[in-house]
Amino acid sequence: MSLAFSLAGQVGQCRLQVQAQLAASGVTVLFGPSGSGKSTLLRMLAGLQECEGEIRFGDQLWHTEGFRLPPWERPLGMMFQAPTLFRHLDVRGNLDYVRKRRGASEEDLARVVGQTRIEPLLARSVETLSGGEAQRVALARALMAGPELLLLDEPLSALDHGHKQELLGMISAIATQVPVIYVTHDLDELLTLSRQVWLMEQGRIVASGKAHEELARLDGPLAQRGDATALLYGELGAYDSRDHLQAVNVARQTFWLPAARQVAGDAPVRLRIAARDVSLCRQAPEDSSILNIHPVQVAGLREVGPGQAVVQLVLGDQRLLARISSRSARELEVFPGAQLYAQVKAVALG
Amino acid sequence: MTMVSDGDWLALWVSIKLALVTTAILLLVCTPLAWWLARRRLPGQALLEALLALPLVLPPSVLGFYLLIGLGPNGPGGWLTQWGEARSLAFSFTGLVIGSLIYSLPFVLQPLKNAFAAIETRQLDMAAVSGARPLDRFFSLVIPQARQGYASAAILGIAHTLGEFGVVLMIGGSLAGETRVASVALYEHVEAGDYANAHRLAGVLLVMSVMMLWALFRWQRKQNVGVMP
Repeated sequence: MSLAFSLAGQVGQCRLQVQAQLAASGVTVLFGPSGSGKSTLLRMLAGLQECEGEIRFGDQLWHTEGFRLPPWERPLGMMFQAPTLFRHLDVRGNLDYVRKRRGASEEDLARVVGQTRIEPLLARSVETLSGGEAQRVALARALMAGPELLLLDEPLSALDHGHKQELLGMISAIATQVPVIYVTHDLDELLTLSRQVWLMEQGRIVASGKAHEELARLDGPLAQRGDATALLYGELGAYDSRDHLQAVNVARQTFWLPAARQVAGDAPVRLRIAARDVSLCRQAPEDSSILNIHPVQVAGLREVGPGQAVVQLVLGDQRLLARISSRSARELEVFPGAQLYAQVKAVALG
Repeated sequence: MTMVSDGDWLALWVSIKLALVTTAILLLVCTPLAWWLARRRLPGQALLEALLALPLVLPPSVLGFYLLIGLGPNGPGGWLTQWGEARSLAFSFTGLVIGSLIYSLPFVLQPLKNAFAAIETRQLDMAAVSGARPLDRFFSLVIPQARQGYASAAILGIAHTLGEFGVVLMIGGSLAGETRVASVALYEHVEAGDYANAHRLAGVLLVMSVMMLWALFRWQRKQNVGVMP
């Protein structure tokens, strides 16, 4: 199933005009500042908001001129920023509300309960749940619909770090089976979840593509952020048990990451490298405490803010960002094509 | 209590019957009306709400006077009676019900309207994307979440109809078993100087009213445990 839409609508002062196509699976993060129209777009896709234009989902027509498939007939699951549990029902009642209306079975319910680990909460009143518990129940309820598309509107914005990671893990796992559109303005969530990203600004999708490409694009909004971060794909290498370091091979270079024990798995892994954790030098320093020093080629440079520049670097077929001062850029003679060494102070998996 | 006369018991029974019939009809009529007033913004709404709230401020005798004219054989309501046996709706139980409907309407409408207005739009949106159609949403979500409003509306409707005096005096007359309600019976005892019977009837009405309101407030307290996130 794939989603394609071309929509326009007016909400208050904000004019929304968007068109995009959604990949068949995985998480697509709809990213942008508050007020850019992300939630409105999601509500339009759900059929909760008036709009003009066309929405197609696979071979189903959801919206066109003079026709709007009502929300209750769209095969969707949805989460809002607040859990919005039905307050007159207990946890089990909330799941049953959807189960009965979507024709799901008791077995489906048991599976969803297991997936979201809410077994101990089933008999609880929704008023006694913590924020993290409530959002897990809200996720379970969204899954009860047996959705062909999940629309998640900043579902984790009110949660602390621990609960956020737990739910992000669940959502990632679910996204292997169901396409997810995930609204957020949190870069960390984008980095954790996303293969695809739509960047939204002032009611328009200004860029869309693979997350790691959009993150590194100098002319895009992400590379200009103070917390700009590059995503690199690599493969797990050897584990040094004496120094507790895990090797990850990226484009024939080896990155060493601190790890208490060997990282298991054979799938490609993702490395996050924040632009401000990368510094540049002309020669490879021989007596540095930094483990990860790699030869790179400068692909481009952009001034961001007073006295600051962000540099895009090529490492094999992948891109890295470095945030340095404008003076360093001048004195190091950073220009496209220059061969330099990148010193990477911190690397994270995920 | 056993000293309350048969005639007064009959008057109490008429009062209770009137209160129950009136409140039942009002709950049905006010449900869509309150929903519409609480959730929509349409031109002319303020004027309509003012008219519906009029019984709150108008002296009941004024209302009763217009009803007397309206429901009498020569009034616009008189044509209703051409199919019935009665010549006039005034001085009949049906007439009392019509009068009470108008008189008690704001007491049923207002709590329902407040309850409906308090339901978050997000809850309705979530129900919609959960597969619930509008009518389904109304019965599966709105009514359960507005149950306190319904309890308040029912108790206030009954209590206020029981306490009705001015309107029934104008349009009811005092036909035993038909239109003589408890409050009118009490008035007649006082007029006749029969303070002993007046005391008994007034006592019964007082106890009934306190019990009803006590039950309402107790129930509301029990419902109010915890605050939703």
